[in-house]
Amino acid sequence: MTGFEPPGPLAGLRVLELADEKGQFCGKLLGDLGADVIKIEPPGGEPCRRLGPFLDDIPHPDRSLTFWYYNTSKRGVTLNLETAGGRGLFRQLAMTADIVLETFAPGHLASLGIGQESLRADRPSLIVCSLTPFGQTGPWRDYLSADLLHMAAGGEMASCGYDDADVPGAPPIAPGGGNAWHMGAHFAYMAIMAGLVYRTVSGRGQYIDASIHEACALTTESAIANYIYRGETLIRQTGRHHAASPTPRTQFRSKDGTYVTALVSGRLTPKYVKDLAALFDSYGMAHDLHDPKYRDADTIAANTSHIIDDLVAGFIAGLPAEEIYHAAQARGFTWGAVRAPEQLLDDAHLHDRDFWKEVNHPELGRSFVYPGEAAIYNGSPWRISRRAPLVGEHNAEIFCGELGLSRGELSALAESRVI
Amino acid sequence: MPGPRALDNIRVVDFTWVRAGPWATRWLGAFGAEIIKIEWPENERGRLPSTTTPQHLEVNLNTSGNFNDTNVNKKSLSLNVRTAKGLEIAKRLIAVSDIVIENFSSRVLQKWGLGYAELARIKPDIVYVSMSGYGHTGRNHGYTTFGPIAQAVSGLTYISGLPDKPPAGWGWSYMDDTGGLYGAMCALTGLYHRNITGKGQHIDQAQMVSSVPLNGPVLLDFTVNGRGSRRPGFPPGNRAHWPGTPLTSSYRGPTVAPHNAYRTHPGGYNDWCVIVCQSDEEWQRLVNVMGAPEWAASQKFADNTGRLEHQDELDRLIENWTLTLGKYELTALCQSAGVRALPVQSAEDRVENDPQLRHRQMYLPLEHPALGSRKVQNAPFKLSETPAVNRTASPLIGEHTRSIVEGLLGFSHEDLCAGFADGTFWPTGRPRFAYMEEMLR
Repeated sequence: MTGFEPPGPLAGLRVLELADEKGQFCGKLLGDLGADVIKIEPPGGEPCRRLGPFLDDIPHPDRSLTFWYYNTSKRGVTLNLETAGGRGLFRQLAMTADIVLETFAPGHLASLGIGQESLRADRPSLIVCSLTPFGQTGPWRDYLSADLLHMAAGGEMASCGYDDADVPGAPPIAPGGGNAWHMGAHFAYMAIMAGLVYRTVSGRGQYIDASIHEACALTTESAIANYIYRGETLIRQTGRHHAASPTPRTQFRSKDGTYVTALVSGRLTPKYVKDLAALFDSYGMAHDLHDPKYRDADTIAANTSHIIDDLVAGFIAGLPAEEIYHAAQARGFTWGAVRAPEQLLDDAHLHDRDFWKEVNHPELGRSFVYPGEAAIYNGSPWRISRRAPLVGEHNAEIFCGELGLSRGELSALAESRVI
Repeated sequence: MPGPRALDNIRVVDFTWVRAGPWATRWLGAFGAEIIKIEWPENERGRLPSTTTPQHLEVNLNTSGNFNDTNVNKKSLSLNVRTAKGLEIAKRLIAVSDIVIENFSSRVLQKWGLGYAELARIKPDIVYVSMSGYGHTGRNHGYTTFGPIAQAVSGLTYISGLPDKPPAGWGWSYMDDTGGLYGAMCALTGLYHRNITGKGQHIDQAQMVSSVPLNGPVLLDFTVNGRGSRRPGFPPGNRAHWPGTPLTSSYRGPTVAPHNAYRTHPGGYNDWCVIVCQSDEEWQRLVNVMGAPEWAASQKFADNTGRLEHQDELDRLIENWTLTLGKYELTALCQSAGVRALPVQSAEDRVENDPQLRHRQMYLPLEHPALGSRKVQNAPFKLSETPAVNRTASPLIGEHTRSIVEGLLGFSHEDLCAGFADGTFWPTGRPRFAYMEEMLR
């Protein structure tokens, strides 16, 4: 079939997003799946627009690549909610919306008279989601946060770091990339979707109080279970799982100076060793692995350190990481190259899946390559419908085109800093 | 009478195992869907091997603590779907269900004769979510992952660590957790779409692929500016920037100092806090909290540029102060003065010492027949109309076989007994648990 592409699964939904770094990814998840997301920013633009890196390293609210990435498939308006006029326009827009997503400090919107109770009283089908650092209640609810703070209190840092042999006395290390916001956004998205499913049956909206701290605290795999069931506190290890006591390494330096993750420890059965020998032999590097003694599990166990620290490490040290990755996977080994993100642009598998998307920036006369979808929706495709909005780009389209303001009124609102 | 739940009357056929898939269906169960977990003891990979069985209990199929937490709110049907009879029963279950979800290697379900075309023949509006390592399309679809491999191959591992050191990466399968969330997100989105349009679909979620969009700004810095991440000073550990290297974003927020982890009193393994000052004003607040020491008045620390340049000295001096305080005491002092600071928390800290998580009732006990009363992790969101509250501990293996086979699917009790005798519901010759003998009476 060519030409016709069905709409995304969330087509027909309208989302009002009043979100900074804490919630903009959730808005992107909704928008890329087809919802009409209207980002409402303060006059002059959301402060996240001041976050680098910037296009050509020239700082400007419309050139933040971080803002670009997290705000695809949204339209943007500016609105000063501190003014009565701004609140009035917001309320009008909210009466056309299915979802309001907000990340203000707890109580802020209510103090302006546009809190969830008031909005839902006027529009019972509305789903309002507050995504905040600690939720709406509790002793920490007014605490300040940052990605690093969430990685600390959420438990991520307690599980990440180095073997003493690699970095003596190393601190706990917070994983990079701003993942506290991802964790919060993933859970908020789930809660919103559950609310939407319930609404298809009941017609009723609801209020969602989502906490980023709790999302992070939920995201350390078995660490909580290790404590609850066995009283264990886990140690940090270089490039591999936390553990109750030290485990063999899984990250090995390759010939090109990068690394390979090879999950060998705990898997060394006679069959596995035989397969290892075949893999190494294909490069003439089997050494003693063909020795019949390795058909015996006990002999393997007694030689674990030799197999891992001499033979696996030596094999990986002799070849480039990408070659090892594909050669090992082709033989059924769950191994991978430790890549820098930019290497993904050369990944043939992602190209086969049409992962990378060209996104047009018409005001620049250029288009850029963006990462694509986490999952392929075969019946209702994901897509980036537009690049992130410029500051106030859709003010006229939405305030005049949809809410019926005249151009003169729009200008007056701009002059009085309502928009 | 308990109130409504978001996914009341939604039934999920859950073929998932290990961690990522069960973590997905856990959340569908929390929203009130009926999760029917199909298991087979001969090739079970979630209950065993167990490293989270309490020291005083025997390690067996029903004593994994991590399994218990990962599989609350589910039912268990023991069924050998690798036999013709077992497959027929699975199909009868699919015919009365809304969602099929699995995290086998790519195309395994298809090989069983349960590809999307067949699923849709059985139940036309079925929502089918496959959660594989690399997805069902693309040349490497046969590759396999665990969390650490998806993290390595996608770049997540590389961007975490200290400069000029090996990657520190993630100390657990972050992409089992996150892949699980994507599985649940896909199922919910597909379900919403089905309720609106009447149409089901196959959603092809892939652990390695789902990792890549988490590196958005790093990738755009490369595709737009040509700046790669293999560069001096990157990744900068817990800092926003590594001193002595070109000043540029490290994709974690504003490029500011202080922005680091500091040891606290009494200096134990997890006695650390983190402090971030995002403006000169926030820095002055920290200076006041520290008691306005003389060193902090130095001109070189007066603005962010100076603090970034002199981070080594700055961090050392701040740590001299943090070492005098416990991490919770320090947190309270800083936060009450408007300074961004929190403790590094171990699992024990979160469960026992975190006043916020306690207030929010993050860990509440559920009774489990083999493990006793144990705290289980709750949802990180409060829904006003349809609370997502854990109702039941994880199922014992095959615990609900009778109620599903007889009650839901309408087989007779004789059919059930015959299925146990012929190896459909439990391997012949494998000792049965007492509750199985009970269900065969």
